[in-house]
Amino acid sequence: MDLSPVTEALSVKSFDKIADICDDLMLKVSSEGISFHDDWPYAIHLLGYFYINDCDSARFLWKTIPAAIKESKPEVVAAWRIGQKLWTRDYPGVYGAIRGYDWSQEAKDMVAAFSDLYTKRMFQLLLSAYSTITIHDLALFLGMTEDAATTYVVENGWTVDATSQMVTVKKQAVKREQKLDSSKLQRLTEYVFHLEH
Amino acid sequence: MVGVMNSVEAVIASIQGLSASSGDLSALHDLLKGAEESLRADSDVKLSTLEQLDPSKHSLGYLYILDVLTSGPVSEEKASDVILLIARFINSCDAGQIRLASEKFVSLCKRLKDNVVKLNDPLRGVASLLTAVYKVQASTKRLTALHPDCLQLCLQAKKYKAGFSILSDDILEVDQPRDFFLYCYYGGMICIGLKKFQKASELLFNAVTAPMHLVNAIALEAYKKYILVSLILNGQFTNSLPKCASTAAQRNLKTLCIHYIELGNCYNDGGIAELEALVVANSSHFEADTNLGLVKQAVSSLYKRNILRLTQKYLTLSLEDIAKMVNLANAKEAEMHVLQMIQDGQIHALINQKDGMVRFLEDPEQYKTSEMIEIMDSVIKRTIGLSKNLLAMDDSLLCDPLYLGKVGRERQRYDFGDDFDTVPQKFSM
Repeated sequence: MDLSPVTEALSVKSFDKIADICDDLMLKVSSEGISFHDDWPYAIHLLGYFYINDCDSARFLWKTIPAAIKESKPEVVAAWRIGQKLWTRDYPGVYGAIRGYDWSQEAKDMVAAFSDLYTKRMFQLLLSAYSTITIHDLALFLGMTEDAATTYVVENGWTVDATSQMVTVKKQAVKREQKLDSSKLQRLTEYVFHLEH
Repeated sequence: MVGVMNSVEAVIASIQGLSASSGDLSALHDLLKGAEESLRADSDVKLSTLEQLDPSKHSLGYLYILDVLTSGPVSEEKASDVILLIARFINSCDAGQIRLASEKFVSLCKRLKDNVVKLNDPLRGVASLLTAVYKVQASTKRLTALHPDCLQLCLQAKKYKAGFSILSDDILEVDQPRDFFLYCYYGGMICIGLKKFQKASELLFNAVTAPMHLVNAIALEAYKKYILVSLILNGQFTNSLPKCASTAAQRNLKTLCIHYIELGNCYNDGGIAELEALVVANSSHFEADTNLGLVKQAVSSLYKRNILRLTQKYLTLSLEDIAKMVNLANAKEAEMHVLQMIQDGQIHALINQKDGMVRFLEDPEQYKTSEMIEIMDSVIKRTIGLSKNLLAMDDSLLCDPLYLGKVGRERQRYDFGDDFDTVPQKFSM
């Protein structure tokens, strides 16, 4: 079985493509009747789904993994532990699952990249959902120590009140592209034409 | 003459000679149809016969020979070889040629499906059937007989994402009603698995409202799932079937799934404890329908619906009050529910942990960014396409002799002529 597309994508750190590459490859090798379960990079495949925020597909993949693999490959089980935390929206639990396993060389970079990405996602979530939050909760959501978490958000303009142990969220003005080009005008003309005929 | 034509070598020679132009191919097709019976009886047709053909160049002939070779009962040991043979052919065959004999191609693909199911390895057939659907489909608007089989394999192999890839096109042309019902039902299940409830609801709706003289089991199961999906998606249950549903569905569907109707009504009342009690009492029914998971998702969506209602009434509310009003254990749980809803884009709100309050906000979308214009553009385009399709269908219906005949007859029956019509008017004057 040729797993080179997966290893190539891993080596250039295109983690967002891993899930699709694995999906296609799995369909291809199985249609050739090759028994692939023993050598399949299940942990990488699962992490690929987490990376693109597709927990549903990860859960379906987990359900198809043979019991023997689940017993013999602890890394696959460890990867799914992250999935369980994501699935139940145990936000701080995700970091625990990431740190709770000594990842193999192959998976290490990807786990680290996912962890960074997840922290960024959490930061965005806090930004959109909170006006004030305790330092304690902030540290849990970002998966950092309280000191590291406050430093991280202060860099983004949030303010910390040490006496009440509260952080005030600073909204960022999001700059959005509003440029229009002539093709849009052309399309509008077509719509009006359609409506009148 | 016939005897000569039907010997295997002669057929092979014709296939090799007549596979290039469309004229040749139609001659070849006639010849193959005529030779089919005797090929079946001929013991000279062996696997080695196929080696003389190129599946990508001689697809039509290859299809006929392969069909002869793989028809009939297949032992379990040989099933794997048959699957591989068909899978490789599907992969390399020429779409234009196999469409000439699409029925035969479909039956060959179904054979592959039956064999992978027999071997209990549905995953093996997924890639082949996906390819087969694309190759046999003359237009993306057309439902093929392979759509339902492909979706069924995807469900069995738990390859939901792969199955979803063939659901993106709007289907407008259908040959067999059964294929359409199954397509909608399996498609709905794929979307439910991926939590794409809007699309799931559309597909299940189509199965429920499709024309039927008698209620069929597929429509019934689709209706059960439709009720549950509507609860999750819209947070409410409508106690009447859509007007466009057939009379058979209007009359019978509801009496056949009383437990779901009961669940929907209870959901509308909004009491979480009552709803949970009802689910426990009827869980054996839901479990027998393999809908228990979906029922549980519907139950947990009630919390969200109740919170959503609060956002319409209040501008700010304490987490304590939210917990009390929607029956959650404490403020922390209420906070987590609100947070999840913000994450999913269901509500817009700001949680203030300092005061333990939530401030509900308006949707910040101002519909003036480039991305939003792109979205609106694609919706408008889809709608224009839809209206064009509708006009085309209307035109073709107006030219349909069957329809015209029926309309003409009814007009005769109700048209009593001018004399009759004017009489009451004169009286009323």
